[in-house]
Amino acid sequence: MRFLRLLPLLAVLFTFAATKAQAQLKWDHPLQQFHRVPEDKEIYAHYTFKNIGTTPVTIKTLRSSCGCTTAHLDKKTYAPNETGEVVVHFIFGDRKGWYRKSVAVTTDDKAAEPVTIGLNIEIRDPVTLTPALVFWKTGEPVAAKSVQFSADPAQPVRIKSVTSYNPRLTAKLDTVKAGEQYTISLTPADTAQKESAEISVQTDFPADAPRAYVIHARIK
Amino acid sequence: MIRALRQLAIVLGLALLPALVSGALQLQWNSEAPSKKDEVTIAMVHNNWHDKVLWVDARSRAKFDHAHIPGAVLLNEDEWNSLTSAFSDAYDPDVPVVVYCDGGSCDASHAIADRLRQEFKLQQVYVLKGGWSAWPGK
Repeated sequence: MRFLRLLPLLAVLFTFAATKAQAQLKWDHPLQQFHRVPEDKEIYAHYTFKNIGTTPVTIKTLRSSCGCTTAHLDKKTYAPNETGEVVVHFIFGDRKGWYRKSVAVTTDDKAAEPVTIGLNIEIRDPVTLTPALVFWKTGEPVAAKSVQFSADPAQPVRIKSVTSYNPRLTAKLDTVKAGEQYTISLTPADTAQKESAEISVQTDFPADAPRAYVIHARIK
Repeated sequence: MIRALRQLAIVLGLALLPALVSGALQLQWNSEAPSKKDEVTIAMVHNNWHDKVLWVDARSRAKFDHAHIPGAVLLNEDEWNSLTSAFSDAYDPDVPVVVYCDGGSCDASHAIADRLRQEFKLQQVYVLKGGWSAWPGK
């Protein structure tokens, strides 16, 4: 039963350890959410913090989760009560959909765990085009294969043209529901030999710089 | 004195239990077995497919240019739109696709594998566990 007498001491030790492990930097919004479109190309997210401790804090490293994300800091050492900001720059490239990008922040407080700041971002493309690769094996029976083009009903997208750059692989467009659903049928002249074609699907969206999507067609 | 030692032993025993559990989990994490359903190891590529796979390098162009698995094609999300044509040329429907990125903590290989399954509707797409770090010939 005397073991129970040790419990208060253990509790004090654990509490001390936990307090010591707390970072002295207090972050306002360490996780942020954004909705963007591919044309935005990049985003700068701002993460403000304050040194709520009683001693200066030096930020030692900012380690990002991906080469597409970089983090910038104006200076490294912050006095008590001083505020600062980390700017995270994420370049979209050809990404679309949901992404989580993070940056691990370490300070000179060896007892503190690295703090993770980051962003959840949706790079929204209202169009889905599947499959983007259509293929036949050589000698396979000649038959049309179809690709579905779908647009979010909240953001109608119309197809203006479909162009095959190889006359031996033709493309035919069928409108299922204008602005929302189209079927593109691809047919090879024959499958006797290997062929390659890129089919361009030109849309009217967005109005200022309409996007073109590509279907890859191959006879393997 | 003996009581104090006994109490100390009890405290150490209580601390040892979670440490052993944590250690066991760590060993499992570091094992060679794939931890995700779509992951494969170098040994699996060798044993299951006799090394006949299409390697897809999901790292940056700079890293690919510096070194890559022989025969690999570059396909990353930075340049997805311009690289998918070369991937389509290299793709063989009879050969599995195995995607890799830097190492255990990168997620680019899974992102590329997901897009190949969703946008290209490919079935046999896998991710190399451990990525480029696991490749013995680097």
